[in-house]
Amino acid sequence: MTPENGSASEKWNLRLYTAGQSPKSLAALDNLKRVCEQHLPGRYSIEVIDLLKNPRLAKDDQIVAIPTLVRKLPEPLRRIVGDLSDTERTLVGLQLRQIK
Amino acid sequence: MEPISADFEKELAALRDKLEEAEDVRRAITRGEVDAFVVGPGGSGRVLLLANAYQRYRQLVERMSQGAVTATANGHILFANQRFSEMLGVPLAQLYTAPLESYVSVGDRARLGAFLMVSARDSQIEVELNRRDGANIPARLSLASFADGYASLLVTDLRPLQWPSMAVDALDSIRAALEKLNQGVAGDAPGRDALHAISEEINGLARMIDEMIDVEGAAERKGSA
Repeated sequence: MTPENGSASEKWNLRLYTAGQSPKSLAALDNLKRVCEQHLPGRYSIEVIDLLKNPRLAKDDQIVAIPTLVRKLPEPLRRIVGDLSDTERTLVGLQLRQIK
Repeated sequence: MEPISADFEKELAALRDKLEEAEDVRRAITRGEVDAFVVGPGGSGRVLLLANAYQRYRQLVERMSQGAVTATANGHILFANQRFSEMLGVPLAQLYTAPLESYVSVGDRARLGAFLMVSARDSQIEVELNRRDGANIPARLSLASFADGYASLLVTDLRPLQWPSMAVDALDSIRAALEKLNQGVAGDAPGRDALHAISEEINGLARMIDEMIDVEGAAERKGSA
């Protein structure tokens, strides 16, 4: 396992909570896709949960602000709140990069 | 000094995590990285969007070619887009809070009232809209959503759908007039030639209209298949 991007075979299960097509939700999905393609190519899945359609699902991961990304796998569970525009912070939050 | 127990350390770590999460939310809010919040006890509640999160929808609705109206269950207009205002020939500012039925022909008002009370999604009715200049517009009102007591309607101007049949009627009238003219200029060769040329042009137009109707019919059949 490398400190930068975990074990090469490890599957990443990411869940992004959005609010329809709000600008920050769209930006978050765009930023997340870019980070995943760059750092986890071929071994990630993104599940998008639109809380405008089903707000009750916010309870599962205790979501208070949108967008919020939840790393379900690999454990431990991690949450990152915001549109993921700060790539460095996103990488640290996902533990794809060590804190400098 | 007493040693720190394992339970206490565990509790401390959990509190640190919660503090970190709260700090993360605060940071995201202050940096403007979120545009919606989940509110309500135990996550049971609703999603509140910040005003700028609506901007994309607002632009879409403002620029679309269909009319859009949000009305109360008793038919008072709370929102209308520019297209609806153009359809009626009434300034947008005058539409807000006006009764929708005042822009619908008298004979359709009872059906409109019943329609607005219905919460079934995708239901629709066809009515005559009254323009300010006195003209009537056939229109289809489709219920896009019904939430919190408000109906959001899409308003489609049905006149373009009637244009092909109106054009066919107009061409038939022109043909009949030409036939009369043809009889009147029986001995006038240049006049007959001119009328023949006009008849050919009209036949060409009629074929184009027939083809348009065929294409539209095929598209509708494909859509309903």
